[in-house]
Amino acid sequence: MSILVRRSNLIVPAVQERMIRWSWQRDADAVTIDLQDGTPAAEISRIRKTLRQSVALAGKAGAQVFVRVNAEYVYADSAAAAGPGLAGIVLPGAECADHVADASAILDDLERTHGIAPNSLEITPSIETGAGVWHVRETITATPRVKQVVIDEAALAASLGITQSADHDPLVYARGRLCIEATAAGVQPIAVADPMGTQTGQVSRDEMIQIATDSRNLGFKGMVCGHPSWIDAVNEAYTPAESLVDYYTQVREVFAQALAAGTAAAPFAGRMIDVPVDEWAKDVLAMSAACAARDAEKQAARQATDVWLDAHPWDQ
Amino acid sequence: MASTPRRLKRSGLTMPIVTPRFINNAWHRGCDFINMDLEDSVPPNLKDVARNLVRESIPVVNKGGSDAVCRINHDLMEADLNAAIWPGITQVNYPKAEYGHEIERMDEIITRLEAERGIRPGTVEIGANIETAVGVANAYEIVTASARVMDFGGAAGYDMSRDLGVEMFVSFDQFVYGKGEVELAARAAGREPHAAPFTPNITGSVSDPDRAFAEADAARKCGFRIGGGLHPAVVEPQIRGFASSDDEISDAQWVLQEYRKLARTGTTWVQIDVSTVDREGSPRPMGADSYLGRHRVIDRYEASRAEELLQWRDLCRERDEEKAEAVARVRASEAE
Repeated sequence: MSILVRRSNLIVPAVQERMIRWSWQRDADAVTIDLQDGTPAAEISRIRKTLRQSVALAGKAGAQVFVRVNAEYVYADSAAAAGPGLAGIVLPGAECADHVADASAILDDLERTHGIAPNSLEITPSIETGAGVWHVRETITATPRVKQVVIDEAALAASLGITQSADHDPLVYARGRLCIEATAAGVQPIAVADPMGTQTGQVSRDEMIQIATDSRNLGFKGMVCGHPSWIDAVNEAYTPAESLVDYYTQVREVFAQALAAGTAAAPFAGRMIDVPVDEWAKDVLAMSAACAARDAEKQAARQATDVWLDAHPWDQ
Repeated sequence: MASTPRRLKRSGLTMPIVTPRFINNAWHRGCDFINMDLEDSVPPNLKDVARNLVRESIPVVNKGGSDAVCRINHDLMEADLNAAIWPGITQVNYPKAEYGHEIERMDEIITRLEAERGIRPGTVEIGANIETAVGVANAYEIVTASARVMDFGGAAGYDMSRDLGVEMFVSFDQFVYGKGEVELAARAAGREPHAAPFTPNITGSVSDPDRAFAEADAARKCGFRIGGGLHPAVVEPQIRGFASSDDEISDAQWVLQEYRKLARTGTTWVQIDVSTVDREGSPRPMGADSYLGRHRVIDRYEASRAEELLQWRDLCRERDEEKAEAVARVRASEAE
């Protein structure tokens, strides 16, 4: 089975056309154009008119492009975005199977009318309330369109009456439940790169690598990035490091030798290597290869774009 | 189903059943149980060989008083149970438990094999281990699927790491939610949770006695009573870690003494500054600088904690004597 590599997902307010124009250059695995937060109601109709072009622009260097729709306008926002290059929608405030099933029915129609392959548009539920955390199992299993589920910590904190601070972590349970339920359902849990207490612009690259590494070690498979400067750190943290690849390459060799010698348990560097360690080593090496393939894919798309840009410099 | 006395599982060694030097030396390691592994430490091409070794290995590993238990393969459950359920086996450990129906099926097979092989009905317990997110999500259904499930835990370890895609040895508790869910399911079902609080182990060492002691001591203080490991060097520290210290025992006796005094007064609680209590007396409370603190409340909750502590001390003592006598018997017969 191929591995979905979507480490970084840059979220850009739909109203910030300049940011959208530059979003493709940031090497994000995905870009989400946000129609909900920060979009004045009066602007929405105007923005919808250019949404398809924005989607195409954001994806021209190989990023998968999502649109974060308004919970009240799932049809209108999705319809405005539907077209080539749209990977799916982010559904804010998802709390139950019906929310996702209703959105899925809308995408069924749009796929039909726009000649898009059936069931190809994804729905990423965004968990933003206590009810959303509690009902996450039914929410993410309502349709196979759900490949990822994201925890929006700022929204969740607001809905729970939590004052965000670096001193306390009131979302341990919510994150843990999301990771377990998503993994059990075969869905990727996605974190945010600005968890409790982190302020945009105040995070160093090293701190962001640590935040992303810790999230990966909770079971998350990627992060939503509210700032483009976080993308490189997130991509790096979610890509198996060279030292890890070397270590697990050796683990596989040691285990193969042990098997040849008639045992499936062997000591290596003070640890015990047996079947699950070898299986994990395979996973790490497969993930490393999948990340390299994704990076090559983006690189190729970017090179093609550069050629195209030379011919059309005004697009910059 | 017959009820069996509570089996202590403070320390145990898991070993590949196909490695004779491990199996032959297991009996004098002082473990409460020896876990003969048919699963991850046995190469696929030796699974048949391994199965054929279980029956003859039981009296080899349990002659020093350790319980003989067997870890079977998740995907080879029926064949492995058929090889493992013989007189002397007290528990089968089932890895990667994910659904209640798996445990129901195990119960049916074990019940039949007990009847066919002259084993008292209900003797063989099931240790169900959670090693995947699906298992955590279905924890309560799994632990309640059979009354034989008396040892329930996991939600940590290599397989869980792999399922979640996380590194095994990190500086924080990446499994805290899953372990909590599994423990609560076990507690709600009245079964023994097999768990430990987080103690950082970024080296991944399986033979560090100090770490083994610290982990067992922390586990006991969090209400857990089951241990186990891979290396003989951790057996004794685990036994020690799961035992209450002399100071804790004296403290528990003091608590019960004060509680009896309290009961005669007709009040329900009293607070005592332990720094004013005669430190030479016996029983005596732990010092003001101990983890229990200086100002101690004596009430029925504290009395109940003290009672459990003393009962556990008695059970441990009884079990240690039982094993020591068994080892002495073997040594005496070998000397003849």
